[in-house]
Amino acid sequence: MSRFRPTGVWGFILRRLLLGIVVLILVSILVFLATQALPGDPARAILGREANPASLAALRRQLHLDQPVFQQYLTWVTGLLHGNLGRSLEAQEPVSTLIGSKLVNSAVLVALAAVLSIPLSIAIGAWSAFKREKAFDQASSNLLLALAALPEFVVALVLVILFATTVFHVLPAISTVPPGSRPWNNWVALILPVLTLMIAVAPYVARIMRASMIEVLESDYVEMARLKGLPERTVLIRHALPNALGPVFQVIALNLAYLAGGIIVVEFVFNYSGIGGAITEAVVNHDLPVIQALAMLIAALYVVLNLLADVATILVTPKLRTRL
Amino acid sequence: MTDVSRRQLLAGAAGLAAVGGLAAACGSGSSPASSGSATAAAGTPKRGGNFRLGVTGGGSKDIMDGQNIITKPDQARLVSAFETLLLFDENYQLTTNGLAESVTQDNPKQYTIKLRQGIEFQNGKTMTADDVIYSFQRIGTQKNGLTGYAATATMDIGAMKKLDQYTVRLPLKTPDSTVPQTLGSYTFTIVPTGYQAYPHPQIGTGAYKLKSFTPGQQSVHERNPNYWRTGEPYFDTVTITDFSNSTAQVNGLLGGQIDAMTDLPASQVKVVQARGMGALVSKTGGWIPICMAIDMPPFDDVRVRQAMRLIVDRKGLLEQVFSGYGFVGNDLYAPFDPGYDHSLPQREQDIEQAKSLLKAAGHANLAVDLHTTNGAAGMVETATVFANQAQAAGVKINVLNDPNYYGNQYLKLAFSVDFWGTRAYLNQVQQGSLPSSPYNETHWPPKSGTGSNFESLYNQALAETDATKRIAIMHEMQQAEYNVGGYIIPCFGGLIDGYAANVKGLKPSKGTLNLDSFGHGYRTIWFS
Repeated sequence: MSRFRPTGVWGFILRRLLLGIVVLILVSILVFLATQALPGDPARAILGREANPASLAALRRQLHLDQPVFQQYLTWVTGLLHGNLGRSLEAQEPVSTLIGSKLVNSAVLVALAAVLSIPLSIAIGAWSAFKREKAFDQASSNLLLALAALPEFVVALVLVILFATTVFHVLPAISTVPPGSRPWNNWVALILPVLTLMIAVAPYVARIMRASMIEVLESDYVEMARLKGLPERTVLIRHALPNALGPVFQVIALNLAYLAGGIIVVEFVFNYSGIGGAITEAVVNHDLPVIQALAMLIAALYVVLNLLADVATILVTPKLRTRL
Repeated sequence: MTDVSRRQLLAGAAGLAAVGGLAAACGSGSSPASSGSATAAAGTPKRGGNFRLGVTGGGSKDIMDGQNIITKPDQARLVSAFETLLLFDENYQLTTNGLAESVTQDNPKQYTIKLRQGIEFQNGKTMTADDVIYSFQRIGTQKNGLTGYAATATMDIGAMKKLDQYTVRLPLKTPDSTVPQTLGSYTFTIVPTGYQAYPHPQIGTGAYKLKSFTPGQQSVHERNPNYWRTGEPYFDTVTITDFSNSTAQVNGLLGGQIDAMTDLPASQVKVVQARGMGALVSKTGGWIPICMAIDMPPFDDVRVRQAMRLIVDRKGLLEQVFSGYGFVGNDLYAPFDPGYDHSLPQREQDIEQAKSLLKAAGHANLAVDLHTTNGAAGMVETATVFANQAQAAGVKINVLNDPNYYGNQYLKLAFSVDFWGTRAYLNQVQQGSLPSSPYNETHWPPKSGTGSNFESLYNQALAETDATKRIAIMHEMQQAEYNVGGYIIPCFGGLIDGYAANVKGLKPSKGTLNLDSFGHGYRTIWFS
């Protein structure tokens, strides 16, 4: 009896993609059930003070709220697969229009924070490991620990006080993106929000990098490389670093996925028009289509990021490929 | 031969209107009408600049409708482009500084409105009687669901007549002396015939024309070069940005990204002032009542209601909820109305009397739920502070903060908190104290005993053209509410707004809207 099982790195990717799709289907069911379980009646929430039995009934019909739950779910999922994210109950326009530019705004923040903080954190972690227990290591470890302990809200406000309103007045205190323009049109306004996100993410990446690097620096092959007389730089960059990166990818993936949700606080403080604000407003207003669409998007982002992290780990650790 | 230009005509007309009379029905004690474009005495106004305003309370459901609002950003946008026939000044007194030259009450059931001539809408079309009739029809159509609909109950809009290009006859179904107050309320604006809400073009008579609008985010408004008040407005553009919270607003103000903000938290007043910026503290007539339904237990026993009113420590609540900004209330609304009964003694906290009243009513250890929500600043805090104060009298209040408060239980609760803006007395009665009122939380008036004649007194007051007699009737109505009513009105919280050091022309106002009615539609303020 033979069993078809794709092998190799591509096989691994294919299997993980299929698994990801299964996960997304399960998530969609959970999200749908959860929003159905929210207290309150969306029709009444929309009509507010002006609700009367006739208008409530008409609105419920329009929103398919009178159909059985399973049917509502199917209607929604088929819509999703066709790129139709539904229609916002509050804004009376398609969800895709409502969140389109906000997605771009949030993505820009997350991407900038990732691109800037990850190399920096890796470098800090690696150097701390190399100069273990010396001045740089002590200082950076303690500083990063303190920063990790502070909630993002506090970090954001401290940065605003420091650079925008009280100590120096060099950067803007809020980063509103005017409708129709893009975040990079006013890149100065992005500095403080991105800095806040970098500070949120850097400590974890740096610390795991440091721990991983310490372990690698103790290993046999590094000792061998040193004994062979290779310059320390080559030992570090060519032999130690690639092996230390394996576990770091997992942490990076988790942190990026965290950023997608944790961005709410940053958008709040800087009045930045992104999906963080969109999802909080949608929850308060019972805007089911928006909540469902954003929950699915964030879940999809988690799945993709984790997949990328796993693949990157495999690529960097050849030893793991033999068991694929 | 030189013609008088339109501008000269309007300037002359404005000057004449300043001397022109208000009808007796406009309420006694009104201050003399001020001149057409009253500017603050803070230096000479200068032209130019982009005025950036930050407002909280909005979201993706923002609208722009000359005659309707849901949230504060909607208010901010409405006043930029739309104007009313009559205007309330900073002391909440009616003036003829609006689109009408005069509003006269010919007899108890008829008004005549004379329009100012030569005013153009932002698309160049002259404002005439036809537009006024369309505006009234739009508000008076129930299915439009506009803010001003309830106030049109006494108007016979179907029988409105155009007497000439600039004169309109407004007949009433029943006598109503409060019509002028209605004509001054900020959503009762004049729109061009055929007008519809955003996304249709937003054309009004106001000082700024809508250039762009993204609900929930930002709107940009451009100076109307053809505006009828000569010299106004001063800014080139006005940008209104939605904010989700006051922290970002204050930071934006301190950092210089916005020039003014609404609803500055009381704790930030000193911070803002220390930086040389301004905090506009307005002692408005807005109120947050604790409402007892007089027909639902335990509040159907008048002794319980009287006891609850004696429990509240009014000054203490004002301090805790509004940081002292505002003034103490006496369980009566409409404090700026000339008919407000100042002779009724100010109620003070009296825990002993409250306890004995409760005991006599058989509710010595009363336990009751108090419903509230985040509908307006101070609603939740009022409930929590009052619940705390009630412990001293042995009353256990369970505060329920319900996000779905305005759902199916609203107006059916025995004990709840609500919010209201500034209004004249009879207008407020019509909105909240009659069986037919749209928002009658207390289910006032009672069917028997003191206050049972409240509605007939109201109708008499509406029909009464003599101001002194009308005030006497209003006093009688208020005495009933004072003695056996269902409202606990501890204080009037006031509005606090913030503005940058270079913004001039703002004055504290007693009216409903923030920032001195947003600088009277952004036309009486300028950058120094």
